[in-house]
This record gives sequence, C-alpha cells and structure tokens, in this order.
Amino acid sequence: MSPHAPPPLPRFDRTLLRAVEKVVPAAARAEWLRTWQAELWHTHHRRGARRLSAADLSFGLMCDALWLRAESWRVAFGGTAVLCLATLAALCVFSGVLTLAMAGGWRPLWPHLAGQLQHFIFAAPLVTFVSFGTASHLQASPSFTGRAIYRIRRGLFLAAKTALTLLLSFLLSVNLCMPLHAFLPATSDLLQILFFVIFALMALRWVFADQEQRCQQCLRALSSPARVGRPTYNLLEWNGTEQVCKQGHGLLSVPEMESSWRQSSQWVDLAPTWDQPASV
Amino acid sequence: MNSSPRLSHSAALILKALSLGYCFGLDVMEVTGLPSGTVYPALRRLERDELVESRWEPEEEAAAKQRPARRYYEVTRAGKTAALAATQRYPLLARLLPEKRS
Repeated sequence: MSPHAPPPLPRFDRTLLRAVEKVVPAAARAEWLRTWQAELWHTHHRRGARRLSAADLSFGLMCDALWLRAESWRVAFGGTAVLCLATLAALCVFSGVLTLAMAGGWRPLWPHLAGQLQHFIFAAPLVTFVSFGTASHLQASPSFTGRAIYRIRRGLFLAAKTALTLLLSFLLSVNLCMPLHAFLPATSDLLQILFFVIFALMALRWVFADQEQRCQQCLRALSSPARVGRPTYNLLEWNGTEQVCKQGHGLLSVPEMESSWRQSSQWVDLAPTWDQPASV
Repeated sequence: MNSSPRLSHSAALILKALSLGYCFGLDVMEVTGLPSGTVYPALRRLERDELVESRWEPEEEAAAKQRPARRYYEVTRAGKTAALAATQRYPLLARLLPEKRS
C-alpha cells in the first residue's frame, strides 16, 4: 500500500460492489466503481450529525446501476423500429392471452374465432386499401447512396407494422364484443366488424403518421421539432416544422399548409460530414 | 415562454440543496433526508438534463488527506433557472433546507 493510499473498504462493501457492477454498462463501469468506492469510503469515515451506514447506500448504488443500465437501453433502443415492432407484438400477445382467458380456453374460443376470422380476412384488405389510398406520402429524396436497401427496409417495416396493427385491432374488437356474444350473437358479430373497422382505420392512420416521422435510413423516430418560417410570410417563403434524425442522417420538413413552396413533407439527406466545420 | 423543465418535488429538493452548496451525494442525502435510492438516480437524471454537472476532486488533494477523490456536483446556469422556477412552484422548499456553512 502506498503511503498516500486510503485504507481499503470492508469486505461487505467490496462484495456488494463486485456483485452490482455487472449490472452497469461496460462503458460506464469504471467511473461508477470509482464513484461508489469513494462514497462508501466517506460513509465509513464521516463525521456528521447523522451517521450513514453502508446499508443506507446499498439501495442507492443498486438503483444507480439500474438507472445506468436502463438509460443505456433507452439510448440504444429508444425510438427504433425494433422497439416499435416489439411493443406492438407484445400488445398482440397480451390481447391474445386476454381473449383466451375470456373464452376459457382454446377449444371454446375456436368456433367463435373462426367466424370472426372470415370477417377479418374480408375487411382487413379493404381497410388497408382505403388507408393507403388516403395517406399522404413523402417525397423521397433520390440522392442518398444505397437507397434501394433503405426503401426495402422501410417497406418491410411498414408491412410488419401494418400487419401487427391490424391483428391488434382485430383482437381488441373480439375482446370487446365477446361478453355480448353469449346473449346476442348476431348483434355481437355486427358490432365486432364495426369496431374492427374503426380501430383499424385509427391505428393505420397512426401507422402512416409514425412512418412519416421516422428517419428514412435508420428508421428511428425523428426528434427536436423546430418551427421554421413565419405564417404571415407564406407568399414569400415556406413555413412549417423541421425534425431531425438523432444519428444525423437527415431532416424532415413538414409544411404548415400546402403551398407552391412545399406541397408535402420533404426528406432532406445530410452529408456524412454535416457536423464537421466547413473547410475554407 | 417558460422553458425550464418541470421537476418533481424530490428533484427540486435535490437541485435546491445543490444550489445551496451541498455538492456531494452524501451531503444531499443528509440535508434533504431523502434515501440514497432517490438521490443518486435523481442526480443522474439532473446531469443528463444538463441541470447539474459533475466533476472529480483533484487526485493530489484527496491523496494528501489519505482519502479517495470524490465526485461533486455543481448546478449549471439552466439548473439555476430551474431551481428558481421550482422554488416558485414549491414555496416551502426554500424554508426546508438551511444554507451550507462554509
């Protein structure tokens, strides 16, 4: 031990730190460990009105480690296409389990569901067609490299999101009408179709709005909306909102109103060197 | 337009403690009476939101006193504005915490 080194921590503290440090993301682990070694050391050598023990801090260091882990996940997955699809899939599973529980098992559910599925297979393409027909589309910029890959990924994401949303709307409508089915089967069937169409139209509206507000390259949700232009200068320049991709892939300009300046939302790619100072 | 973020009562209390000169996690725990499970994650959140910033004590200074260097927190300019707004929102906050004796 060097003459200036502080005395080591008690065994309990060292074991606790070793156990909890595995929760902390690797990039932040060294600093977390240094912080908590210091905090625990000062807890034992503290002269104050209220003496704190290592046990007082153990919950804090666990919460701190969990916060860092959750934050790293939030940064890594927040707004991503994977998170969006996983959330929709989880909601579908939850609704499916609820349907099974309400019916009291798979066997009594199937005859009821078979009839509803026929309605679903007929109504879902019609609802999707109407929603696709009325949705606004982005003017995709043809400038970025590898655009075919991005277009395929965007298309696959939209297809997966649409399928999951339709399934979720169907399951929700089934759950809603199932209690009525025992007393009024015909009314229940009619209401189920009606609810499905309403839910699906609303959900698909969200699907298109969400699709539009995602980066065209990485499919992350865009952020930092900023107002651009002034409504009173509408004849001289466009006005609306701009949102950017956090990864720096591009920005989306959404006009406040349709004008000759900008008729619909426009995606602008940023060059990979957009955040570097311009060379003179 | 008021652009300072709306803080929870605990976060406002912690920010107020930091702005009064209590700059270490343990000091904040002691003066606010909040548990460590509230104080340390709140400090992380405040730092992420750029209301406080953390620094390390100089290593030589700590080594001379035969103790490990500690991480301390300082309120940023945005944090001072947020603390002021929080004091207006929670008027009793100013009376809860004593100023740190230097």
